[in-house]
Amino acid sequence: MRAVLVGLGAVGARCARQLLSSVLIDELVVVVRHRAPAAGVLASIGSPGSVELVELSPGDFGRSLRGAGVVVLAAPGTATFAREAVDQGVPAVSVADATDEVRLLLGLGTEARDRGAAVVAGAGMAPGLSCLLAAAAAEGMDEVNEVHVATLGTGGPACARRHHAALREMVEEWREGAWERKVASSGRELVWFPDLGGADCYRVERADPLLMVEAFPGLRRATTRAAASRRDRLTSWLPMLRPPHPEGTVGALRVEVRGRRGDKAGTVVLGASGRPALVAGTVAALAAEMAASRLLKPGAGGLASLVATPREALAELSRRGVKAEIFEGVGPAPTE
Amino acid sequence: MTPVAGSGPTNTARPRGASLRLLSRALFAVVLAALAAVVVRLRGTGGTPRHRGGWRELSAEDFVEPVEE
Repeated sequence: MRAVLVGLGAVGARCARQLLSSVLIDELVVVVRHRAPAAGVLASIGSPGSVELVELSPGDFGRSLRGAGVVVLAAPGTATFAREAVDQGVPAVSVADATDEVRLLLGLGTEARDRGAAVVAGAGMAPGLSCLLAAAAAEGMDEVNEVHVATLGTGGPACARRHHAALREMVEEWREGAWERKVASSGRELVWFPDLGGADCYRVERADPLLMVEAFPGLRRATTRAAASRRDRLTSWLPMLRPPHPEGTVGALRVEVRGRRGDKAGTVVLGASGRPALVAGTVAALAAEMAASRLLKPGAGGLASLVATPREALAELSRRGVKAEIFEGVGPAPTE
Repeated sequence: MTPVAGSGPTNTARPRGASLRLLSRALFAVVLAALAAVVVRLRGTGGTPRHRGGWRELSAEDFVEPVEE
């Protein structure tokens, strides 16, 4: 099967490596903005002969799609290409996390259902792995009331730029069945992450709440936060003062799901840690393989909506090195 | 020579004693604030609140049965 990958940044390169090691994909077309740097990255990935490098242009993208089994959009601002994929009945997987891009992808739902293809909106670390963890946590509940997502760390330069912008853009939170606008960088909360400990997290503009509301009807609250330093928050309204690092260090994700089982209220906290670009690339590749095999429900949505068996997906991610963890215990103890 | 009203230098400046008193009060306020900050800083335990429990990697059984706390 042929797969098309748009973007070869930190996430795209990891996704390419995963796709090339899959038994399902035997040919990969990589669409990039600039050929020269991408050629170097592809050379390091290997698998000569099975990879074709194409410079990004609308005509070439349409030609690359012919006969493709799946498209992975792993570059910022490429969600619009999903429409072209859906027109040709090709499943599309996007790692976009900005609300406007995800909303655009969700708008393709009816057409995607009609053509029997899946459009995965948000197949990175958050949203993406966050959706799978929330779906797995919700499986033991009769009713899901609240989902709270928090992240720590960034992947490649594009991810760092998005994190910078997400700290200044207006945030939409789901409260009691309605969207409420909040100021980004507000609402400090101390969050405990697996392996990395506690970090102060603040509201950010990210699509997790939008996808959670789609996935869990009757949800009362959905929020998303990201860890940020004082400098991050203070300088978020300025252009980035220095170019972002080629890749961030180890990051983490925490998803808290509150709900009811019978008469009892309960909370399940799941998380994961790892290099965000590696985690996002692995999740995107798995989503692409599932979409290409028609294992996802047709339509547009997050992984919580489209994956029928989230625990199986988590088990497969675990085999690929992305280990989910569960928090057992209670939060901060009362002061003695 | 008889001084004429308004012809000489008018003494609008604060008396020296009053300026010193103002300065000493400002210094006293600054020292008091610093002391209060030190006391608060030393009395506070700092760091992150204590918590019980920890993270456990999901096992094969967790992937079969719904995960529960």
